[in-house]
Amino acid sequence: MKIPFQLNGEPVVAETTYSMRLLDVVRNEFGLTGTKEGCSEGECGACLVFLDNKLVNSCMVPMSHVVGKKVETIEGFAKSERYQVIEQAFQNHGAVQCGFCIPGMIMAVENLLRTQTVFTEEIIKESMSGNICRCTGYQLIYDAIKTVIQEVVE
Amino acid sequence: MIQSYRPETLKEALQIRNQIDCTVFAGGTDLYIRKRQWQGAERRFDNDLLFIHQLSELRKIEVSDEEIILGACVTQSEIEGDAYLPEFLRMPYRLMGNPAIRNTATVGGNIVNAAQVADSLPVLFALDSQVVLQSIHGERKMPTMDFVIGKYKTGIQTNEILTHVMIPKKNWTDFYYRKIGSRKQNILSKLSVIVLLEKKNDDLTNLAISIGCVNEKPIRDHEIEQGFLESGAINQLIDQLYDKMEGQNDKRSSKAYREITSLKLIKDYLEKNS
Ligand SMILES: Cc1cc2nc3c(=O)[nH]c(=O)nc-3n(C[C@H](O)[C@H](O)[C@H](O)COP(=O)(O)OP(=O)(O)OC[C@H]3O[C@@H](n4cnc5c(N)ncnc54)[C@H](O)[C@@H]3O)c2cc1C
Ligand code: FES
Ligand code: FES
Repeated sequence: MKIPFQLNGEPVVAETTYSMRLLDVVRNEFGLTGTKEGCSEGECGACLVFLDNKLVNSCMVPMSHVVGKKVETIEGFAKSERYQVIEQAFQNHGAVQCGFCIPGMIMAVENLLRTQTVFTEEIIKESMSGNICRCTGYQLIYDAIKTVIQEVVE
Repeated sequence: MIQSYRPETLKEALQIRNQIDCTVFAGGTDLYIRKRQWQGAERRFDNDLLFIHQLSELRKIEVSDEEIILGACVTQSEIEGDAYLPEFLRMPYRLMGNPAIRNTATVGGNIVNAAQVADSLPVLFALDSQVVLQSIHGERKMPTMDFVIGKYKTGIQTNEILTHVMIPKKNWTDFYYRKIGSRKQNILSKLSVIVLLEKKNDDLTNLAISIGCVNEKPIRDHEIEQGFLESGAINQLIDQLYDKMEGQNDKRSSKAYREITSLKLIKDYLEKNS
């Protein structure tokens, strides 16, 4: 069946089923491979995308939830100025090793900036609690996030 | 080949539910874990699927002087973010899952899934909430604590959809909520406790206690609470709650740990606040 939605600002139609996962559609049908599959069960955050501006795990979202909605993947977000700030901070802090978790991390940082107004240690950690990194041990990522907050908010 | 149904109205959904043996699909955050297969493959469900997330009838939060009504497909983050809802309701939802999961997971899904560790159940039991179940034949209501029978077991019929949760308003003046897991967030609870109090001029006039994760479903006992309101005897209350515990050892933590910790938390709180 055909499912129409908006993908990174463009109207698109996917040839798929209601029960297919959004993750499979963006990767396989649209070739957007920045969205990764790690755990497949909502724990690691490698597959994060925005669905109507809300952060979701695309490994757990069926296409039924996407009908007529706006999907933003890391490829779409990468065109924004804010992406440049986040990427720069991650680079400056050496917060990237293998890189597998990083698209998801960046989407979670953007969600933190979109949804919060106060940025305590606790709020930052809670916002990043759905993202797992097997390489960095997180400290460098937190340092990068603090730099982003300083530049964007303060 | 399974069929998927995506009706536009609740009425249509109830008709499908009545005709076809299907799995109700709300947020899917429990269903997807249970149906995990292999990377990249379309999830293989063994049953036809009835999607309900899009039904506007199930997505509203209504607050009146008498009650709060939560639609079954209201997400956890919608509750977390609704400033008209009391903090004792928002907090348990805010501490569930992680931000992305809370944007998808629904109120109804947590109840109907009825995991032993389901975090919304203790607060919904403590608030004397009722579930509303609809089928093409009509609607029935029952206390959430009776609807949940045990681990992964509820009283739902195969032609029913849980449509709403109704929470009567009371005059709670203070509450205590504690969820303990081995990681701070994003972990299925090992233990959770909620206590709600109503005080008038320093006198305790009402109380509700619920303990999650110890038994197959949360402990809530109106008689024990009433006894405590009359006697004020904390030790007796704790002994009576202890008698209600039938937890078994499982891989998350030992029975003794959960039982003793939950009772200690309640005792400490009541000693300071009742
Ligand atoms: C990473 C992760 C972390 C999690 N953390 C927590 C946590 O901290 N605490 C916690 O309690 N849970 C947690 N969960 C479990 C899950 O997110 C919740 O139980 C959630 O509320 C389920 O809602 P859902 O809409 O996704 O349910 P679904 O998966 O859609 O459905 C669950 C079950 O309920 C049935 N159902 C759903 N809605 C209805 C309805 N309206 N009428 C009839 N039947 C219905 C379905 O058929 C299914 O059997 C977590 C899950 C994940 C993946
Ligand atoms: S792949 Fe979706 S959360 Fe891990
Ligand atoms: S950099 Fe390798 S998983 Fe995070």
